[in-house]
Amino acid sequence: MASQLLPLELIDKCVGSRIWVVMKGDKEFSGTLVGFDDYVNMVMEDVTEFDYSGNHTKLKKILLNGNNICMLIPGGEGPTGPVPSS
Amino acid sequence: MADAREEGTAVSEPLDLVRLLLDEVVCVKLRGDRELKGRLHAYDSHCNLVLGDVEETIYVADDEDEENAKTVSRKSEMLFVRGDSVVLISPQARPF
Amino acid sequence: MENGAATQGEGKDPSGFLSEIIGNPVTVKLNSGVVYKGELQSVDGYMNIALEKTEEYVSGAKRRSYGDAFVRGNNVMYISAD
Repeated sequence: MASQLLPLELIDKCVGSRIWVVMKGDKEFSGTLVGFDDYVNMVMEDVTEFDYSGNHTKLKKILLNGNNICMLIPGGEGPTGPVPSS
Repeated sequence: MADAREEGTAVSEPLDLVRLLLDEVVCVKLRGDRELKGRLHAYDSHCNLVLGDVEETIYVADDEDEENAKTVSRKSEMLFVRGDSVVLISPQARPF
Repeated sequence: MENGAATQGEGKDPSGFLSEIIGNPVTVKLNSGVVYKGELQSVDGYMNIALEKTEEYVSGAKRRSYGDAFVRGNNVMYISAD
């Protein structure tokens, strides 16, 4: 039987690389995944927070509550693609 | 790790802060733009609360004059708050 | 912390990150959009948070200050190290 990749194993492969997080609401985050736990609470670095209004906010390092996460996209740079650094 | 379980003043976990507020007048922010001010008689790990001499304030959305848009709705001698509606607990807030 | 390869043990997973930032100024954003800035006193497994010297911001504008504040974890969207 082909070895299947468990969902959390996929996330584990993303540690150290960029990831795009889509929340249950209208909010999205992109950043470098530093670590996570069993609840998929995630530590991220060099984060951009995307508001429903299209604004984005830069954050150095955050702990994101896993409770409201909807979807994780490995390698994603958020809804706008790579964000020009300011 | 030091055991600060007694009636000490150490805050080693967030609920210790609530323990220090027992029998004090506290300000509790609830979901749905509600606020309670009253004396904290009891709490548990869910943040279920028993408050005495409570004043409940409901903030009604008003873009014109947000500071005056509050309506004091009621006062109660004693009430129970279910923990899941609690957002924040603090000693009496100072308006900024 | 210039190198991007996040292989240092401390602050790697959520609990490591939290113990790393205890006592530091942090920004806590709630699901409602309200933001609290203050010194992080403690956090527990529910993400309940105790803050010191707390300032409350509603849609970017400072609203109030609290000496101490307990924030119930279910309302927390993220904790950011300032």
